[in-house]
Amino acid sequence: MHMFYIGDHCSTWTFKYDFTFLNEQLSDFALSVSKTLSTTLHTGESQNETIEVLNPIKLELECTWTGDQDKLPNITVYWMKDENEIENSLFHVLMCIRKCIFISQFLSLVVVSPQIGDVREKPIVSYVGDYVVMTCKMEESKPKPSSWNWYKKNGTDEEQIFPAEEPRYKIKNEDEKTKLVVHNLTEADSGLYYCGAVYAIATTKSPVKLKVITYWEPLKPFLAILAEVIVLVAIILLCEKSQSKKDGATGNQRTYRYSYQEGNSSVRQRKV
Amino acid sequence: SVRRSSDDADGPDGSWGWVLVGALFVSTGLVFGLMRSLGIFFVEFVEYFEESAQTISWISSTGLAAQQFFSPLGTALCNAYNARMVVMAGGCLAGLGLILASQATCVLHLYLTMGLISGLGWGLVFTPMVATVMANFTRHRALALGLAFSGIGISSFAFNPLFQLLVEMYAWRGALLILGGLSLNIVPCGALIRPQRRSKARQKVGWTSRPYATYTLAIVLLNIGYFVPYFHLVAHGRQAGFSEYQAAFVMSAAGATDILGRVVSGWFSDMGHFRLIHLLSFWVALAGVFIMLLPVSSLSGSYAALVLISLLYGFSSGALTSLAFAAVPLIVGVERMMGALGLLQLLESATGLLGAPLSGRSTLGRCTVLCLHYRKSNLHRVSNYVCTVC
Repeated sequence: MHMFYIGDHCSTWTFKYDFTFLNEQLSDFALSVSKTLSTTLHTGESQNETIEVLNPIKLELECTWTGDQDKLPNITVYWMKDENEIENSLFHVLMCIRKCIFISQFLSLVVVSPQIGDVREKPIVSYVGDYVVMTCKMEESKPKPSSWNWYKKNGTDEEQIFPAEEPRYKIKNEDEKTKLVVHNLTEADSGLYYCGAVYAIATTKSPVKLKVITYWEPLKPFLAILAEVIVLVAIILLCEKSQSKKDGATGNQRTYRYSYQEGNSSVRQRKV
Repeated sequence: SVRRSSDDADGPDGSWGWVLVGALFVSTGLVFGLMRSLGIFFVEFVEYFEESAQTISWISSTGLAAQQFFSPLGTALCNAYNARMVVMAGGCLAGLGLILASQATCVLHLYLTMGLISGLGWGLVFTPMVATVMANFTRHRALALGLAFSGIGISSFAFNPLFQLLVEMYAWRGALLILGGLSLNIVPCGALIRPQRRSKARQKVGWTSRPYATYTLAIVLLNIGYFVPYFHLVAHGRQAGFSEYQAAFVMSAAGATDILGRVVSGWFSDMGHFRLIHLLSFWVALAGVFIMLLPVSSLSGSYAALVLISLLYGFSSGALTSLAFAAVPLIVGVERMMGALGLLQLLESATGLLGAPLSGRSTLGRCTVLCLHYRKSNLHRVSNYVCTVC
């Protein structure tokens, strides 16, 4: 059985198994991937698996031949990264004692560091001169990163933010969440920021968008509403004045009659 | 004898009364509908000020308490001066509080502005407007109130997505500023109140008046239990094994039947087949029965039963609300109704505080904490249900 080590610098690897068989009458193989997951695949099935890991793992592929022991196939296995075959990964599996491999099955394994699921799509808005708090959280069920970093996207690069160098920035880290506080905002601070959860295997990055606006933005609709209120009040009061002028002219006295007499009579009834 | 002229728009049950119903609809929507939708801001406050949900929830508790506490002041000012000025001033204060809140740099500022100033404004608006509308109607009083109060539920349904949008576009500062502007729309509502001429003989509402004292006690007791189902329904549903969505849907459905109950009971009461007080007792008793059935229905494990009982509870609790207000002038007379309502609201704030230790936490605070919890878990639809009903 050939061992394959993923190595220390892997980020995303896709493993595809493409097995051609000499004997098409083989059927029902059990494929097990030990240590990280185990699954039983049958002929014709394909499967995608995503495994989130902290450290580089040793991926061992083992299969158990459950068919006729006399009919073990001659199988070629090679590893691919993306679309290319990895050199020297070709090997032949000949004699296996109850361990052999496969038929036409595809197994994709994506090995990554724990991902941040909860991504806020809408930008966080704040004002020039104000401060803003940007938060990133790793789900409770996932392992906690050893530390957190923050990056700002500058053109095509991502520059890490160091609060020691720029006191405008403050980073507050807790095990499962991190906060970036930016004081004295300017419009230039708008843009894309990334929080990075640092794991031994890789740093998971999650984007956070910041938009800095001036007070004029909300002031526009506010002034519009204020104008509407003033206009309404003016209309109501003017209408009433013109009504009372008309009534004054025709000698009609508009008094507002309460139905207080009715009220009094019901108070006298003790059985209320 | 009852003087009623059907062709005089200013008289009781005249067409101007319905204009005032519209004004009450809008203003109660801007007061209570707004208060109920503040949950959206609380998430932002927790992040920005880095305070706990409990601390932030006191903002709405302060606002509601202030509204109730200042109600007698509002009604006293109406009796001394006139309702139009008081309501317009209240609208200005409510707006001012929110506008100032947009500039807050600490949570204390929010307590003072969104809580105290806006709460004072709301206190000067709600009870005077309710009293004014009731004074305008005799035959259709309960229906008028029912229609107007439906504005609370409808506006909180509308405000939730609106506030969400405002916060996304302008952050909480800009959104509060715009909200302050929106609240100023209470001012034209107040302007619609026509200045009145009233008899000088004004009697003080005495505690010794037995019907009033009895009624007040009844309402006070009612308030202790009134909100309890809404808060515990969700927790209850979860304990009974239902998902968060299912539990929150139940609350939302109860809120919808609440709106229906208000309008239907008002309409039915005005038909005159039964006396208002009897109907009020009926709805209160029914609401009590359904509250008692609530834990039974959820324990039975049947989701359908829980939904049914909650719908029925929502309907009966909405039904009693319209009548509870409409009963006041029947008990103390229209002349003293203003003052009586004010006092009633003040006492409701006391029971609000009483109910807190009884139901475990500050009632509005608990609601807010629930609302925040769902928002944090990013269950947006669930949180919309919960935050709306609260």
